[in-house]
Amino acid sequence: MPGEPYNPSPIGNPSVLARRNWWQTMFVKFIGKHTPKCHEMVRILSQSMDEPMPLMTRIKKRLHFLICCWCQRYEEQLHYIHETARQFPEHAGEVSNVPFPPDVKERIKQKLADQIR
Amino acid sequence: MLAVVSTCHVANRASNKRAVNESDSFLSDPARPRGDHDTAMSTLNIRAASSRWVDDHGECLYRYALVRVRKPEVAEDLVQETLLAAVRGYEKFGGRSSERSWLVGILKNKIVDHFRKLGRETSFTDMEFLSDEFSEKFVSVGFWNHDLGPHEWRPEPDEVMHRVEFWQVMRDCLSKLPEKVRDVFTMREMDGVPSKEICAILSITDSNLWVMLHRARMALRECLEMNWFDTPAGGTV
Repeated sequence: MPGEPYNPSPIGNPSVLARRNWWQTMFVKFIGKHTPKCHEMVRILSQSMDEPMPLMTRIKKRLHFLICCWCQRYEEQLHYIHETARQFPEHAGEVSNVPFPPDVKERIKQKLADQIR
Repeated sequence: MLAVVSTCHVANRASNKRAVNESDSFLSDPARPRGDHDTAMSTLNIRAASSRWVDDHGECLYRYALVRVRKPEVAEDLVQETLLAAVRGYEKFGGRSSERSWLVGILKNKIVDHFRKLGRETSFTDMEFLSDEFSEKFVSVGFWNHDLGPHEWRPEPDEVMHRVEFWQVMRDCLSKLPEKVRDVFTMREMDGVPSKEICAILSITDSNLWVMLHRARMALRECLEMNWFDTPAGGTV
């Protein structure tokens, strides 16, 4: 878009603030200027899954979400992935049909019996 | 018989009152010295239980170990170590969780120990994957390209959790990640190892870890969206 700065939150964007009137346009420009860009925000969102973030970063994140429903979705989806990945191991039996070799089964049973004796 | 043992353990922990009421049952009173008969009974119990674990959970444990370590002989050893540890720690298992989650929990620890032993052999060479900034997803000033940004997911948590197809899509998506990146991601998200500990185990820096986790999450998110949430099975369409 040569000439005009990129509009992060055009009309029709499903985010909370979307330049529907003069006030919203001012807000969108202000937030767009003072919070990390999406490209940086996704990195921060991932890092916040692993360690607590400073208060200022968390406030900026909230403000950014007002003009960007995509980053908000991204965060929700990271949480979803976190929750489901945690449960993956218990469902590991369902994801492949690699057989557990019967001889290994027997060998382990024998080892267990020896241990218990 | 096993059910009786676990129930009594729970009763002991949950309510002293009940334990007193049930004190005529020898199993509900751990302070009471065990006679030869009791010991023989419990040995029989554990032996029966451990053999049942191999039949009921062996396959799940083996397949998860295989996803993680990729070598069948290593996976077999891990399953064996897990079950031996389970036998040793059987007394401590109070039936607070399902047998499956208890055994998987032990296996997770064994897998982390395995990586700890490998530790310094790990090197990170997947630079191509790590330098991929997914730049086509963003416009040049750094905002999402609105046409390519994350779609709305409509997960049906309880249902999805039990759908075999979802877990298969997740496995396929994981297998597309470069090996080392996948190791880091699975250790963090599936085994729940704190990030500081992963850095110590794999001898990598914090920032290296964050880059890898970020790329893994981004790639996995993208893959799940394309192969699950944007398909009729995933519910978005």
